[in-house]
This record gives sequence, C-alpha cells and structure tokens, in this order.
Amino acid sequence: MKEFLTIIMKELMLFLRNVGLVIFVIYSFTLDIYTAGEGIKVTPQNVSIGYVDKTNSGLTTKILSHFHMPEFKPPKPYLNEKAMKKAIFNKEIMVGLSFDKKFEKTKQINVLIDATTASQAQITIIYLQNILLKFAKVDMPVRIKSHILFNQNANSKWFMSLSEMMSVIMMLGLILTAIVFVKEKERGTWDIMLLMPVDSKIIIFAKVISQIIILMVGTIVSVGVVLFLVFNVPMNGSFWLFILLTFLFMLSVSGIALFIAAISNSVMEVSQYTVLIMMPLLFLSGAWTPINSMLPIFQKMTIFSPLRYYIDGCESIFFRGSSFMDIWPDFVGVFVIGVVLFAYGFRKLGKLF
Amino acid sequence: MIEVKNVSVKYKNIYGIKNASFKAQDGEIVGLIGADGAGKSSLLHAISGVISFEGEILYNNEPYHSPKEAEKFKKYIGLMPQGLGLVLYDFMSIKEHFDFFRDIRGIKKDIEYENRLLNMAGLEKFQNRLAGNLSGGMRQKLSLILTLLHRPKLLILDEPTTGVDPVSRLELWDIVNEMREQDNITALISTAYMQEAEKMDRVMLFDEGEIIASGKADELIKTAEPYTYSGELKYENCVSFNKRTYSLNKLDLPKAKPDLESLFFVNALQKKKELINIELKKEKENSSNEVVMKAEKLTKVFGNFVADDKIDMELRRGEILGLLGANGAGKTTFIKMLLGLYPIDGGKLTLLDKEIKSYKDRLELKSKIGYVSQRFALYDDMTVRENMNYFASMHKIPLLEANKKIKEYAKLLGFENYMDKFPKELPLGINQRFSIAVAILHDPVVLFLDEPTSGVDTIARSQFWKLVKELKEKMNMAILITTHYMSEAEYCDRVVLLKAGKKISDNTVENLHKKFPDAKNFEEIFIRLIK
Repeated sequence: MKEFLTIIMKELMLFLRNVGLVIFVIYSFTLDIYTAGEGIKVTPQNVSIGYVDKTNSGLTTKILSHFHMPEFKPPKPYLNEKAMKKAIFNKEIMVGLSFDKKFEKTKQINVLIDATTASQAQITIIYLQNILLKFAKVDMPVRIKSHILFNQNANSKWFMSLSEMMSVIMMLGLILTAIVFVKEKERGTWDIMLLMPVDSKIIIFAKVISQIIILMVGTIVSVGVVLFLVFNVPMNGSFWLFILLTFLFMLSVSGIALFIAAISNSVMEVSQYTVLIMMPLLFLSGAWTPINSMLPIFQKMTIFSPLRYYIDGCESIFFRGSSFMDIWPDFVGVFVIGVVLFAYGFRKLGKLF
Repeated sequence: MIEVKNVSVKYKNIYGIKNASFKAQDGEIVGLIGADGAGKSSLLHAISGVISFEGEILYNNEPYHSPKEAEKFKKYIGLMPQGLGLVLYDFMSIKEHFDFFRDIRGIKKDIEYENRLLNMAGLEKFQNRLAGNLSGGMRQKLSLILTLLHRPKLLILDEPTTGVDPVSRLELWDIVNEMREQDNITALISTAYMQEAEKMDRVMLFDEGEIIASGKADELIKTAEPYTYSGELKYENCVSFNKRTYSLNKLDLPKAKPDLESLFFVNALQKKKELINIELKKEKENSSNEVVMKAEKLTKVFGNFVADDKIDMELRRGEILGLLGANGAGKTTFIKMLLGLYPIDGGKLTLLDKEIKSYKDRLELKSKIGYVSQRFALYDDMTVRENMNYFASMHKIPLLEANKKIKEYAKLLGFENYMDKFPKELPLGINQRFSIAVAILHDPVVLFLDEPTSGVDTIARSQFWKLVKELKEKMNMAILITTHYMSEAEYCDRVVLLKAGKKISDNTVENLHKKFPDAKNFEEIFIRLIK
C-alpha cells in the first residue's frame, strides 16, 4: 500500500511540474469547453440574406421584415438574379430570395441557398417556411402547440458545453494515462521502473489512478466553473451519480490508454494513436449526431462505444434529472465495456513488465 | 588545407567550444580526443558548415564565417555524424543507398571508384542486403564509404568508432588510411578512445569546451612526464589512478611513464579542480567470496534470432566482473535476463542458491539487485532528494533508516550540496555517483552497472572506478559491469567476452595477460580472442 501511495504522489508531482501539460489540461477543461459552448451553433445566427425584388408590392417588404437579428443579418438588395448568384458564389450572402414580377399572382418565391453550410442552410429553409406560413393564412386542420422539455429555451450552449466536456474527458483520459507510461520509455527510466521490487499490477494501477485523480479534479472544476457558473446549465439529477458514472467512464478510457501505451514508444506516437482511436469513438457516440439518425450498421456499432452510454447517462442526469433506476443500462454499458477494455489494456501493457 | 581561427560555438548561454584554433595540412589525420560535451562535435559541425559559429574558418585560404558561406565548400567536405549508421535507411539495400546518395549529391556514376569503396569496406558481396540487416560494424563501414562517395578532400568523422567492435574498428581505420595515401585527403576524427591517438598524425585534447593540448601524441605525453609518479597514494594535491600518481609538487617517488590520459589529470591539477576522495566505511568483516549469482546455459531467442546462446556465468562476492562485447553481441539481453526483465528461454538462473522461476521469484530477485542504467536515467523532474526518497520508499526501507542512509551516502559520495537540485543540473561525475547511491540504497547483493563510463571524462571515470573498487572492498559487493571500452577491462578482476550471442572467453585479467604476454594492451588481447 505504501508503494501504491508513493507512486501516486510521484506521478501527481511530476504532472504539476510539467508546466506545459498543466496549462494544456486547464485550457481543455475551461476555455476549450467555453469556446465550444459559445461558438458551435445549431440555430441560425447571423445568416446573411440577399434578395431581388421586382414586384414593387408591400408584401415583399413585410416578408423581409421578418428576417431580423440575431438570427439573420439585415437583407441586402440586389439588382438582378445574376448579381445575387455571384454574391452567393463569393460567400457574401448565404441565402438569396428572388421575388419576380409575377409574385403577386403565383405566390412563388425562388430561393437560392449556399449548401456548403449544410445544417445552417437546412434550418434557414425551415425558418423561411414558417414565416411564409404566417402570410399564407391557410386554415390548417391541425394546429401545432409545442412544449420543449428539459431545455425550455432549446439552449444549444447547455448541450454543446456538456458534450464538449465529455469529449475533453475522453481525450485527456487517453493522452494523460498513456503518457505516464510512455514518458518512462522516452526518458529511459522504463527499465528502472520495471526493476522496482513492486508487483506490476500495483505500478499500473497506481499510475492509472493518479491520472484519474487529475481528471476528476479537472471535471469538477469544469462543471462548477464553466457549466454551472458561466452557462447556468441545470443539474436536475444527482451530482454524485454523475461523478460515479464519470469514474466508470474514466476506467474504460484508461483501458484504451493502456493499450496505446503498450504500442507506442514516444509521446508523439501517443498523440497519433489517440486521434486515430478517439475519432471513431466520438462519431459513434451520439455526441454530434443523434444515434437514431445514423445508418443502421453504425447504430449497431455504437453499442461498443463507451462514450455513447456516458453521454446518454450524463444528459439524462443533467437535463432530465434521471435517477439511477432510470439509467441503469447506461451504467451497465459503461461498466461492462470498461472492465473489458481495462482488462485487455492491462494485459497488453502487463506483458511489457 | 583547413585553418580554424578562434572558432566558438554558443548554445544559449553555454559555450560548446570556445576560441578553438588549429591548422591541418593536406593528407594529415588530426584527432580530437575528449569526453562527451567537451566540444568535439560542436567544432566538427562548425567546420562542416552545418551550425553557425563565431570566428573564421579557411578552406585552402578561402574564408567562411557562417553555414551560408560554407555552402560552396560543401562539395569538398564529407561529414559522418555521430551514432551508429544514423545516415542509413533500414529498408534500403546497399546498392540503393549508393544510388540515393549519388542522386542527392548530383554526381555521376563511377563504377570503378564505387567498387573500390565497396572492396575496402568488404561489402561487395552484400550489395543487395538491407541496411537494417547489417551488423553494427558493417553499418558503420557503409556510412563511411557513403561519406566518401563524392570524393571529399576533407573528411570529418564524429566518433566513428564508438560502440563498434574492435575488429571493425581496425577496418574503419584501414579505410581512412588508404584514402589518405591514395587520394591525399585530410581527415578530422573525433574519438573517445585514447588508444586511437597513435593512429593519428596529430591530436587535440578537449576538456570542457577548450582545447587543452595539441601536437604529436608522443610529444604531448612527454610534457606530463615531470608530474607522473608510479604507485597509488593518497596525498594532498595529488591524484592517483591506474598505478600512477600525479602531482605538481615534487614527490619523493619513482617516476612512471605517462600516457595521454595523464594529460587530463595534470590539466585538472593545474586548473585546481576540486577532486573528492571517496572512502566508504567498512561495514562488517565479510570477506567470503561465495557465488551469489549463477547463470547456467542461459538462452534467449527472439523469433529466429538467438540473442544469447547457452551462456554460463558465475558472480562472486567481492568481485568485479566485466561483461564485454560490441554492440549487438548480446550483452544487454544477457543483463536483462539476469535482472529479471526478460523471461528466460532456456537454462537456469540462481540467486543465493535459489532458482529464479516464477514472477514472484523475479520480484524477490529485483529486491536484491542494484542497477545503474546507461546515462544514469533517473527522474529528471524530481530533485536528488526526491529521487532518493522515492527509491527508498519503493524498496520498502523504513523512513528513518532511509533518511539516515541518504544523508550518509550524500556525504560519503560528495553530493550533499546538490540534494535539492535536479539531476540534469549536476555535473556528469556527480550525477554518476548519485545514481550509484540510489542503486545501493537497499543494500543489494549484486550491483549491475550498464556502460557506466561511456562518454564520461577521464577524471570522472577515474573517480568512478575508485568508487567501484571501494564498493567491492568495503561492502564486499558482487559487481557486474558492461563496457565497450576494452581498456577498462584492466580494472576488472575477471572478464567475460561475448561475441554474436556466444561466450568466447571467461578468464581473470591476470591469466589473460599471461596467455598473451606480447600484447601491448587489452584491446590487442581481445582482437586475438575474437579472431
């Protein structure tokens, strides 16, 4: 037990003395998450619109007056469609509306959209349709009355900052844990470490735990400062349930990290393998795209991504206020994958001892 | 002709080499001798025009002051950097290397010359072999002939022989000599082996970024004669090592014949460098010479490759055993088996009459051995004190006892003023003693020293060997030391020589000298043993 604590203390001390790494970790847990929360938008924002109006009717002005800040920039007039096309081509505007002479009769608007910004373009069309619907005065047999649950303002900051924090936990979990082993290889202290009359299990466990401690502290700071203080993310469930789930998730990430540590010989290689392994796990986690909208084969593959269960569980705890009984499958998922990955990584690295 | 005038190379605030000046005539071989960090490489790189420098260098009376100005001379210069075959690509054959180097140099194919080079290196039969499959010596010979491919007039070789087996080392020298005789090239060659000085026309001795002496080797040695006395004794303002004592004051002792190393000792005395006298306390009266470690037919196989083939070895208390061999002879693999780092593929290993079999046995083994790795790798980000505390704790030494021991060793080995410094800030010699202190903290039965002296300067090396002797005599430790400096075998009690994974000799140093009475030095004995 004494050796176990000695190794943990040593690794924590070495971490704190590595100024560059400390700055990187602090940045990832604060500014990076802040930037993601502020910067990544799923609703239209500052979309630039242009229009060509050949009707001289008041209706077009009325329609155009509905495109306002902060979603849209004030619409820019163009003389003809050719000029507007050019403007779209030159990225001056994203959407172009063309009201031709027969508009009053046909009630037809031609819309040009720059689809290189696919998601924003999609959402802009939906906005546009909603605006036009108000003018159409159609007597619809159905009326939609929507209630947005859990995130009443559909605040994307909450969602994005939480997602980014989970991605950061995974990235740092992979890098930090792999680096504590690989640095020994790089610095030539690997043999010295092996020559300690201490069981390899204790050495590996102590090193992993030391990094989990760092990650835990970072997570708590991140949740407290960035999520709660800056973005006012609600915590509807139990904070401790979140911490427990995070710990289990870190164990499974450590398992992958041990595998990376076993196959790399330098810190450079660690970062290469980390990117290689992290990307598919992220794509298959539901962090960026809901799992239900993936291809069926990818949907099945998400079963193996620990991040999938972690994200699902965390979002439930934060926004839905779920209790353990509601989300136990997520716990089982993270736990089982964690045990398997950790056992595999542990064996792979243990062979080097 | 190359002339160097007041050349200095600065790295941030530290001088790599300061105010070096010398001249070399056409067809001359000039040697640069000194330890790592003494400034040899800095000077050679400055002359090759690959790093910026202060001062002036003249090639055939045309000056250059920077790498940019040196560009037009580069076709006359051939540089072979330090490191075994670093210029080679493992997945390219010898033939492909020739094509590649010819193309990047933009020279025409000259079959006759290329065949001559291949012949000199003895590589003509292996032209289709990948560089990765060549032995260390062959790689180095290939690097050398590739450096010669563009017919340089000035050949600059940075430690070409370090880590190369003695036979290949001689062959490398043959190539250089032949090129000098037939093509009249000038060669600047750095080396850490003092013995190679006799093969050079002129030598320059380097110490801490300065040239401390230059001239013909035998003339230089003569200048140390007034200060060299025979026998070893402890006296104020004296240093003694290897059966000689050096003193600036006259001593009432018979004189001895100095060698090149003597110049470094005399220089240290003249500069009034502080030299510590290491004396350990005699722990207990224990003069037994029982066998503590025994290897029987130890074998290690990697795939098809037999790294160690049935090697027997016995290690006794109070004995310094030298394990010698070139790079790739199986030294490191053998030591790793003894350390319990590699599982054993065949044979038997016993420590204190107990056979090492299971993982638990190996843990037990680890608790009874001390190990100093190459370059004394300890944790750079922890201070000397923190490093020692960490190791003590890992070896389950009680806190009070550990503190007492750490203090004691720090005092005895002379690094108590450096306790709160980081290992990198220590001078190499002190770093070395601190590493040894860490390795003996838990009173091991066997102490392993893996190439502890490579790159260390003469003075630090002499102090190191004194310390090893003290450990042997006062603590009655069994010591296993690996080295590729054949001359250091002199200081061991017994040597085991490995070649291509096989033990080819295991004898006491005395017996070997008797066996080859006409051999000038140990290097010669080994060359004969290997052949």
